Amino acid sequence: MSAKGAVPAGRQGSASGGKVFCVIPAFNEEKNIEIIVSQVRPLVYRLVVVDDGSTDKTADFAEEEGVILLKHIINRGQGAALRTGTEYCLNRGADIIIHFDADGQFLTRDIERIAAPIKNGEAQVVFGSRFLNSEHSAEMPFFKKYFIMPLAKAANKVFFNINLTDPQSGFRAMSAEAARKISWRQDRMAHCSEIMFEVKKNNFKVKEIPIRVIYHNFGQSFSGGLKILKELFIAMLVN
Amino acid sequence: MLQQTIALIIIASILARPYWQKQKNYIGMNEFIFWLVFWLLAAVLIMALKFLDKLVAGLGFSGSGIEVLLYLSVAVLFYFVFRLRLKLEKIEKDITKVVQNIALKDK
Repeated sequence: MSAKGAVPAGRQGSASGGKVFCVIPAFNEEKNIEIIVSQVRPLVYRLVVVDDGSTDKTADFAEEEGVILLKHIINRGQGAALRTGTEYCLNRGADIIIHFDADGQFLTRDIERIAAPIKNGEAQVVFGSRFLNSEHSAEMPFFKKYFIMPLAKAANKVFFNINLTDPQSGFRAMSAEAARKISWRQDRMAHCSEIMFEVKKNNFKVKEIPIRVIYHNFGQSFSGGLKILKELFIAMLVN
Repeated sequence: MLQQTIALIIIASILARPYWQKQKNYIGMNEFIFWLVFWLLAAVLIMALKFLDKLVAGLGFSGSGIEVLLYLSVAVLFYFVFRLRLKLEKIEKDITKVVQNIALKDK
């Protein structure tokens, strides 16, 4: 770890239930990364930002904030960045690993809530769900809520027998034990479904908690959803 | 007959390229042999079009020999594209491994 990336020990997130590490993959997020880092860092023991080959000043902001910065020299996708960050966390003795987004859509207040079931021994993997609270899902774009998400949910059910309420949740927490066993191979957006599939395959205790998402943009589009299906299909053939 | 002759000339000119690449050591012997066999087979099939017509009719296809040949070649192309896609996928994974190793090095 570089001196710049060192974070003082004894931060929140280590007081009870082990060391909580948070991984934030970031690609061209210079506008959001500074505030996200400043908000998340006090809540966890270590914050690991993975700059996924950004062409803007994302990495500069992260370094200024004194977080642990891992750099992908070229863009490899969110799934790959999360894998890099998670591997780092495991090597550094993390007990709980949280995956968070850099685009400011997730609320930092949910970080403690998503880690709590693992600390309490209620679950090994916790997924944030936008659909457990109808008030939260009301903010979702209409087409996404009533067309893309039901289709994604159906695809998860048909192909992977996954029954989670949010088919594409990027906000999740997992115990170190679970993280070691979950091996997602998808570099890009298909990792969400793959992680869910791995969780089911390993029979981990799963819990979903309601989270609120602020939509700055539409997010995953219909064509993006088809791309995910294509990636999963090719992965099945390759493997 | 004229069409067959033109087709054979085209095949000969196409074959000249892998031959030249082999001479310059741009491609290996295996790849050269593959393309040689591939295009020689195409030449043989073009020369045996009448036989192909009979064979295809005997097998119960309504189209002519050249049509069936075209369908088969499309199927073969699809197969090659598929193989290429799988190979690309593997290369992508390898690139990611390298990038991740660099990111985690000395951390």
